[in-house]
Amino acid sequence: MIEPIVRRVNGWFPDNLSPTWPIALARMLLGLLWLGTLRWKLPPDFDGGSQRGLREWLDLEVEHAAFSFYGIFIESIVIPNFTLFAWVVFISELLVGLGLLFGIATRAAALFGLLLSLNLLVGLLEVPGEWPWSYILMAMWHGTILVSSAGTLWTLPNLLKTISGRSTSRTTIEENDYASN
Amino acid sequence: MQATEEAVGVPTQAGMRKGAIGATVTRLALGFTTLFTWFDNISKDFYDGANFPGFFNDYLFVSAEDGGNGSQLFFVQDILNATILQAPEFFGWVLTFFELGIAIGLIFGVFTRAASLAAIGFFVNLFLVYVGGEEWIWTYVLLSAAAIAIFFDWGGRLLGVDQFIAKARGESPFGLIW
Repeated sequence: MIEPIVRRVNGWFPDNLSPTWPIALARMLLGLLWLGTLRWKLPPDFDGGSQRGLREWLDLEVEHAAFSFYGIFIESIVIPNFTLFAWVVFISELLVGLGLLFGIATRAAALFGLLLSLNLLVGLLEVPGEWPWSYILMAMWHGTILVSSAGTLWTLPNLLKTISGRSTSRTTIEENDYASN
Repeated sequence: MQATEEAVGVPTQAGMRKGAIGATVTRLALGFTTLFTWFDNISKDFYDGANFPGFFNDYLFVSAEDGGNGSQLFFVQDILNATILQAPEFFGWVLTFFELGIAIGLIFGVFTRAASLAAIGFFVNLFLVYVGGEEWIWTYVLLSAAAIAIFFDWGGRLLGVDQFIAKARGESPFGLIW
């Protein structure tokens, strides 16, 4: 019943790429996730508007630190140098988001995404209302992308290559037509 | 033919496809996530017929100002009112075994195709139930994406019981059980 549909969907891709498409789909969703979360840490003030901003999240990490060393680190190093760290977080998440969404330097983006996810897990583990499994799932997905070939399918470089290939072959055909006339 | 080749230890292209390591990692992570959440729910008596409706009536579709989630898909609320809330005791039991079944299936890789298909239904429904509210909706996107990857990548065929079932009994009917 469903199996023929699954086989047909898998059949749309070359055999060696078939197992990749669900993971490539997840890769793009994770890219959108990172880009979406930038909206509550936008420069120059990294304020969340009507939502909690980056500074408020850091305060919560200090107040509800699961590991005292982490709370101390945030309180004594990160918050006094908030603008510097906020730019680092913003640029890191932007690059990871773009990398995963467009499949550019996918493994590097997945590795940085994994580290960012683990940082969120450690920082927000005891914050009330947070579900730690969200961050475990994020870490899991980045790890999966890191060890798979998710960067070989549905990527911007592949799309550009396809487009340039088509235009090259079209030019060749036109040149051949011109020569034969 | 394919089952025979796999049985004598010669991995076919399809066999390799089914055994993707990423799907196995995803299966275990989703399985343990579901199991720990189930334990948490059990410890809070969430599935109890007396408590179960409160989640829908007093939280999900209640506005954020009043301490609820503020979910926005009201047709989902209509469906919930017409189904689960008509028999919360019954559906509480159904959900207890349904979630536990998904967790066990995914952790051990047994009947993974059925478990992951059930997980797709479950997590997509959770996405619809929470959408538009205060809850971080990406959690349910990640959960649904994980279930989809396990189903389409045959997540039980590596480090899972399904690989032994498939060798012994061949493919399941319509490929929907293991």
